Amino acid sequence: MDNLHPLESKVLLALAPQPSSPSTLDQLADSTGLESSQLSMAVEWLLAKSLIAVHAETVAYIASLTPIGEVFFEKYAPIERVLSAAREAGQTGKRLTIQDIQAKEALEPSDVSKAVGTLKKEGAILIVQGGCIESTGRNSPTAEAMRALLQELRSGQRELQTFAEPLRAVLQQHAVKRGNAREPFRVDERVTRSFLLTPSGQEVADQLSRDGVAEEVSQLTPDLLKEGAWRTKRFRKYTISLRAPRIAAGKRHPYREFLDLVKLKLVSMGFQEMRGTLVETEFWNMDALFMPQFHPARDIHDVYFVKNPTHARDIAEPYLTNVTQVHEKGAGAGSTGWGYHFDAERAKRLVLRSQGTAVSARRLATSPSVPGKYFSIARCFRYDQVDATHATDFFQVEGIVLGADINFRTLLGLLNLFAREVAQAKEVKFLPAYFPFTEPSVEMHVRHPKLGWMELGGAGLFRPEVTTPLGVSVPVIAWGLGLDRMAMVALGIHDIRDLFSADLEFIRTMRGSF
Amino acid sequence: MPTISLQRDDLEALIAGPDAAPSRIPLDQLEQWLMLVKGELKGHNAETGELRIELQDSNRPDLWCCEGIARQIRIKQRGSSIAYPFFKKQKRVAGKLVVAPGLDQVRPYVAACTAIGYRVTASGLAQLIQTQEKLADIFGRKRRTVSIGLYRLAPIVFPVSYDLVKSDDVRFTPLGMETVMTLREILMVHPKGVEYGGIVSGHDRLPILRDAKGQVLSFPPIINSREIGEVQVGDNELFVEVTGTDVHMVALTLNIFAANLADRGAMIAPVEIQSPVKTAFGKRWHTPIDFGAPRTIPLKAIETALGEALGSKEVTTALKSYGYTVKSAGPKVAVQLPPYRNDLLHTVDVVEDVAISQGYARFAPVMPSQFTVGGLSRLEQMADRVRHLMVGMEFQEIISNIMGSHQDFCTRMRLDGTEWAKVVEVDNVMSLSYSCLRQWITPSLLQVETNSSRAFYPHRMFEVGEVAVPDVGADVGSRTITMLGAVIAHAGAHFSEIHSCLDLLLYYLDRSFTLEPVPHPSFLEGRAGRIMLDGRAIGLLGELHPEVLEQWQIGVPAVALELEIDRLLDEV
Repeated sequence: MDNLHPLESKVLLALAPQPSSPSTLDQLADSTGLESSQLSMAVEWLLAKSLIAVHAETVAYIASLTPIGEVFFEKYAPIERVLSAAREAGQTGKRLTIQDIQAKEALEPSDVSKAVGTLKKEGAILIVQGGCIESTGRNSPTAEAMRALLQELRSGQRELQTFAEPLRAVLQQHAVKRGNAREPFRVDERVTRSFLLTPSGQEVADQLSRDGVAEEVSQLTPDLLKEGAWRTKRFRKYTISLRAPRIAAGKRHPYREFLDLVKLKLVSMGFQEMRGTLVETEFWNMDALFMPQFHPARDIHDVYFVKNPTHARDIAEPYLTNVTQVHEKGAGAGSTGWGYHFDAERAKRLVLRSQGTAVSARRLATSPSVPGKYFSIARCFRYDQVDATHATDFFQVEGIVLGADINFRTLLGLLNLFAREVAQAKEVKFLPAYFPFTEPSVEMHVRHPKLGWMELGGAGLFRPEVTTPLGVSVPVIAWGLGLDRMAMVALGIHDIRDLFSADLEFIRTMRGSF
Repeated sequence: MPTISLQRDDLEALIAGPDAAPSRIPLDQLEQWLMLVKGELKGHNAETGELRIELQDSNRPDLWCCEGIARQIRIKQRGSSIAYPFFKKQKRVAGKLVVAPGLDQVRPYVAACTAIGYRVTASGLAQLIQTQEKLADIFGRKRRTVSIGLYRLAPIVFPVSYDLVKSDDVRFTPLGMETVMTLREILMVHPKGVEYGGIVSGHDRLPILRDAKGQVLSFPPIINSREIGEVQVGDNELFVEVTGTDVHMVALTLNIFAANLADRGAMIAPVEIQSPVKTAFGKRWHTPIDFGAPRTIPLKAIETALGEALGSKEVTTALKSYGYTVKSAGPKVAVQLPPYRNDLLHTVDVVEDVAISQGYARFAPVMPSQFTVGGLSRLEQMADRVRHLMVGMEFQEIISNIMGSHQDFCTRMRLDGTEWAKVVEVDNVMSLSYSCLRQWITPSLLQVETNSSRAFYPHRMFEVGEVAVPDVGADVGSRTITMLGAVIAHAGAHFSEIHSCLDLLLYYLDRSFTLEPVPHPSFLEGRAGRIMLDGRAIGLLGELHPEVLEQWQIGVPAVALELEIDRLLDEV
């Protein structure tokens, strides 16, 4: 009762006065004044609640015009046009063939031959020598019935049974049938149901007529508020257990949310953000990091080279000279160097940044703060086949720490801090590692709550061959965190390409737990 | 760096050494030992006993083999380095190897030795071949700087000559072939000739190793002779040579092979190299050769770098049990690497070896204590403000790859042949789908729209990300710009919708802009605008051209906005 929709109430009240005489939808439409869509909705709800029941189902046949019928109404039916053409020819004394009629009236051959057949049978025309058609002056009952039917149905559909026999026969003859769609009429089956109140429906209806329904409203409106009329209304109760309709939120990308969190952690640990460029010179991407120009990782199969321009115009001094000397002879950095001829042209070669450490190298050369902590979340490119674990470009989280107090043990201390703050890890393991630009080098493994032992990052103390040529005289930690696996676990995905998904539904429904 | 395959039994026998019975080392314990060599156990096949180990250090080629790994572990276990007598200069040599004039222009250096008394086993041969391949491929840069040849010693008559010959003048049967071929034919037909021929191309005379009888040993660095240069299981007299372009790398590689064969029980005898020109080792020298020199390091330097006052005794012990020769002298230590290593460039290299030898767990972490201020760059702060405003306007954030195709960034956007189609392209393209960097964000978002016709509408999405725009005036030929891109797509999407977003965005960012009509091929004519801030163009917006939508197979109208966030930072 509480959950009755106003439409339902209307139907119940319409059925209540004559408890034993069933009403059809049409009758209910009259008595309730509801539109047919609203009415059928209300009836379905009431049926579902067993407040009303179907009393009987009767099948009626409804005749209506087809689009062809509309055209016939506008331009007359072929049978009428054939007959009038024959009469006109009779008056003017012209000879008229079937072909002539087709040409003159622009009619389908099948329509014309059918009309001619009917007219001949009814004796309204004769076919004389040479296939000529002559009017006999007699009327055609079919033509007349056709005209009456077109006119009648033009104003609306009608039940087939209401037509008198001769008309009904013509109508059925010219109704759309399987295999013949070019007909002016159609006859459709229509099931008419009639409804009665059930005993419980009767009870509810009685209660409704006692209490009235006028006060129940579904929506609070400004008018109701303004007039204070809401005081006399009842608000329909909703079925609140239904599922809510879906909406789309404006929101951050979950992977970006993760990276934002990392950013926040790093800033809160005292790190300044640094930024770099997507295109770098080999100099800053590798040479400045003391990777010899013959290093295997500098191969054509590891780095993307830029097509045009291929080279930067120049490399800033004194860095080019300093780095050349340190590669060749270790000069200035207390090193033996690599002992090869450094190719300054090669240093200018433009590449797509392959490691975030390039950003750190540039930062070292531009008067960094001492003590100083820096980080970047840099997009990097590797010459790898794209698959579930390799993306064409990806984010590297890396940075540097400069200070007089920096040494191997403070490096381990910093990594401990990362493990705790970034990975919420309580257990940490340090393993010897190799990076071309750090010595000593460390790989940090942490025990992740879901993944078990995993590598969280790599770090080390920059080799003096890196820092000295860039004008830095204090020890520097270089660190990098491999967070993609952590991100994938947090986002519940298994393919690194899904971090860069192009599927909106996937992005809308992806959520992180971090 | 390399991943190698080895037999667990073989490794255990080598760790035990020639005089002791091998014992089973549990895998978890082995993993601990592997920290000494920066090695990671990648796989273990219990059935075959195969271990797969990845070695990280590209400056330690001596560790890229079973013998090297075992040696480093054995030295740690016994606490002192292993003396190899053959590295000391000896009077007796196995023979001479004469280098002909002219090779300094082609492939100048050679080193060689003989190894007698080790009967080659199947797993030993597999290791020899693997080491030969890994060293030549990675350390020798695909044989360019270093390549290695292994031979049966018995048929070889000294002196061996390292010579230059015309490509048609010498013929022999190369490994893997049935018939005699000239060097020219080998370069043209033999798989190794095809693969490595580029190393010697451009020379009209090619290197050849022959013995005193004129028998060909090999055509370095391409292929060995089939008769002499095919070592087989059961052989117990070997000849090893290394050729290359860097005398120290060549010598080091031979030293590694000599040590490896000695570890397997072979007696190593040196070969005298006679060179027509002076080299770093003179004109005549014996290989293997210990070319390292002691280096004196202040103890303090090691202690400072490690942050731990280890004292001279612990440093000495650590280095000795890592293979170094060490002499302690008051506040300094004199250290020398074993002859199979040549990676001491700087004191820091010794520092790391001390730490590795003692184990990183020896060093207690200390938190860096100096105060620093954290913060974001102005650009990142602005980008974050923009992102938050876009989210407030009910846009979903997208992250896309920056690398993509010309097809997507230009052709599908109707930009080919226009000034808008300038992009940073990659020279060594791996796949056409990833051949350039995006110059704007809109194509990335249209990619999403293309894939998302079944996601309920409206679609409102944005990305704040980097793009690269070619710029001859820029340091690196292009500028990296942080850009906002936004797209709205649904049946009724129109200009004023995206215009309102821009208007509100720049209202909150307190930048007053104007719009100028722009004839941009990606947009419908008369429905596109250039966003102007203080007389400078900072972006675009408009209704996307139906042909663009067709190209992307998008079935609803879409409007787009593109805004340079860097420009919002410009001083007004």
